[in-house]
Formats: sequence, C-alpha cells, structure tokens
Amino acid sequence: MSEDRSFEDLQRELEEIVTRLERGDVPVDDAIALFRRGEELYRTCVQRLQGAELRIEELAPTDPGT
Amino acid sequence: MPKVEHLVYGDRKVFTVSAFNRGIGLHLGRLPTLWVEGEVTELRRNDAWANVFLTLKDPTTGATLGATIARRTFDRLDLDLEEGESVHVAGRAELYEQKAELGFRATTIERIGLGGHLLALEQLKRKLAAEGLFAAERKRRLPRVPRAVGILTGADAAARGDLVATIGARFPAAKVVICETRLQGNGAAAAIVSAIAALTSHPEVDVLVLARGGGSFEDLLPFSDETVVRAVAASRVPVVSAVGHEQDAPLCDLAADARAATPTAAGALVVPSQGELELALAATRRRLDLAARAHLDRRRNALERQGERLRRAPRLLLERRRSALDHTGARLQALSPLATLNRGYAIVRTGSSALRTAAGVASGDRVDIQLASGSLGARVDEVRP
Repeated sequence: MSEDRSFEDLQRELEEIVTRLERGDVPVDDAIALFRRGEELYRTCVQRLQGAELRIEELAPTDPGT
Repeated sequence: MPKVEHLVYGDRKVFTVSAFNRGIGLHLGRLPTLWVEGEVTELRRNDAWANVFLTLKDPTTGATLGATIARRTFDRLDLDLEEGESVHVAGRAELYEQKAELGFRATTIERIGLGGHLLALEQLKRKLAAEGLFAAERKRRLPRVPRAVGILTGADAAARGDLVATIGARFPAAKVVICETRLQGNGAAAAIVSAIAALTSHPEVDVLVLARGGGSFEDLLPFSDETVVRAVAASRVPVVSAVGHEQDAPLCDLAADARAATPTAAGALVVPSQGELELALAATRRRLDLAARAHLDRRRNALERQGERLRRAPRLLLERRRSALDHTGARLQALSPLATLNRGYAIVRTGSSALRTAAGVASGDRVDIQLASGSLGARVDEVRP
C-alpha cells in the first residue's frame, strides 16, 4: 500500500486518524476501519525506518564550461 | 615625430596600406597611458612566445578588448591569474599594424583588490534585497523527512564525507543524491547553477544542501554570483547553505531557506533522528490504541445506559399510572358525602332514599340517621314543615 507516498505523508495520515478517533465523532463502523488503517500506516512507517541502509546516488556533473 | 611617407600621383596623395596603418598606429601611440578594468576571459601564455595574450571583457555590456603584455613582465608579476578574474590593466592603445587590429599594450596587471569585490558584492546585495530575494517570508520550511537529500559538493572530500556520515548516522533510511562539481575558479558559478538544476530536477530530491567546507573570500565568490544566488532563490525545493565562512557570508546564504555553519550541522537540519522518529511513532500508536479503545468504551457505555433505561421503562410506566390513579382517588374522596358527614352533617333516610324535606315524613315514622361513624334508628316526634 501507499508505496510511492513519502514517509511524512504516511505519518501525517496516521496523525489525522488518531486525532479523529480522539475527537470521537465518528460512527462505530468507521472507527473500526480507521483503527485498522492506522495500524497499517504504523506498520508501514516502522518498516520504512527499519532495516534500511543509506542509499547514495551520484549525478553526473553537467559542466557547462566543457 | 616620424613622417609617414606617401606617394604622389599628380595632385593626389596616396598611402600604402602599411603606411596608413603605421600612421594610425603612431596617432594612437600619442594617447595617454591609462588603467582599464575588465574580466579576463582568455589567457594564452606560452614559454616560446614573447608576449602573453589576454582578452578583457566588460561584464555588464560584454564588450571585449584584446590585450598583450610582455611575457617576462607577466611572469614577474607572479599573479597566478585565472580566466574569470577581474583585473586592472595599465597601458595604452596600440595598433597591430600588420592587420590594423586595435589592442591594448599592457605594462602591468593588478588583480582587483578585495575592496572592488566588496563594493560589487554590496551593490549586488542591495539590488537583490530590493527585489525581495532575501525576504524572511520567502523562506520555506525544510521537509521533516525528505525522500532524498540533494547534495551539491566540490572535490572537497571532507565536507561531503561529514555531511553523508551525519545523514547516515541520524537517519539510515535516507537517500542522498550527490552532484560533484567545480565550486571555485573560472566557470564555477555556471557549474554550480547547472548542478542545482540537475539536483532539483531529480524527482525524489526534497531538499538541497550546498556543501563546501569553508575557503578564502575569493574561493567563495561563486556563491555570491548573481546567477547562483538567483538559482538558489528559484529552487523548486528548500535549500540549505552550508558554505562555511565566518564573516562575510556569501550571498547564497541570504537567499537560502536555512543556513548551517558546517556540513555536519546541515546534516542534522535535513534529516530527522531515526531514534526520535521511532519514539514519536510509538507514541502515536499508543494514542491510536487508546483512542480506539476510548471510542469503543464510550459506545459501550452509551449502549449500557440505553439498556438500563429499556429495563426500567415498564416499572416507570406502572408507577406513573398508579400516581395518576391516586390523584383521581383523592379527587373522588373529596366529592364523597362521607367527607361531609365528617364535618358533623348527617343523612336522614326513610327506606332507601335520603330525606330532603320535612313534609316527606309523618309523626311516628321511622327514619335512619347516618352519621360519619355509625347510624341511628329513630322515630319522628314532630313534623315542622
């Protein structure tokens, strides 16, 4: 899920879900769906953080002088 | 003053090309020695040549002037001059008579002192500031977790190493995109501008770091070049300037969205600490659990309250009926004749009907007298109608 979205984006969505649940004005069926979605977002975020190694990409310098 | 020879054809004076050129040359030679300021755009020096050739350019109009200087003089100046540098050249106009080419014969060259640079920088700074390029409201917030960090660096391995090491240590899940380019000397400004373009057009780069580990005032000049400053201001993503220099911050620092004193400090600015991020995530998850549980608890409590009301409803209904009945009973009671008897009245009956008029009985008749409590059987002694 959401593989192409940025970490910050996923984290923001998780935060929104938590805030909505904390406000508590959602129907109960929605609350359960929101909770599941929140759990999923949390797992994705943790996976993104863990087990990753610094990736380095070199761009070829484009030298206008040559 | 040597005279330029001419030929005479009848009444016509005619000059040969060489004579003409020589005449012009002599005329130019009478012009005074003066100083010319320009940027060195071409510099050709060869041990086998008697002269060094250079082209001077006016950076504002692009006008050029070819100049020569004796190679020995040039070497003695020991300027280590590079193309792109601004100089003051002393000399005078000179004609290369063979080709009638105008040039400048230099007797000495001086690199423009810092004073000149500072003045130009100050003017540029004022101009860009007036355009609002350095305004605080233009500064963009750095992304908290960039998909990739673009790094513009020179051959300076230390700056690059410090930055990459800091990023890797704080946030191992990071990605960096590095573009190494020329950061000083001739053509550096153009190289930096094109590296900024290359990095900012990378689809994942969310923030850009200009990393250079300090340098002399002159080394850092490209970072104050107008094209570089404008490229920084116009960048698609926020820019962190880590062009280390204590005083006289290069102008790109002012146009950048954030500045860092060292590449290490820049690393700490552009990526979050993974440990802190994990803690924050864990806290969010606890809130998610709590919020979901609290939500369900609230629903359950509401449900229980509803159940309780449902269970109480029949009894409540009965009570309400009973109290209505009691009320009616009381009203009934108030209307009862027995209540009147309580106040001392009596009902006199003959047979089953109540006696309302004395004429209803005759002397000697039997009547029943009902009191509030008990009754009397009596006989009528006298009738007074």
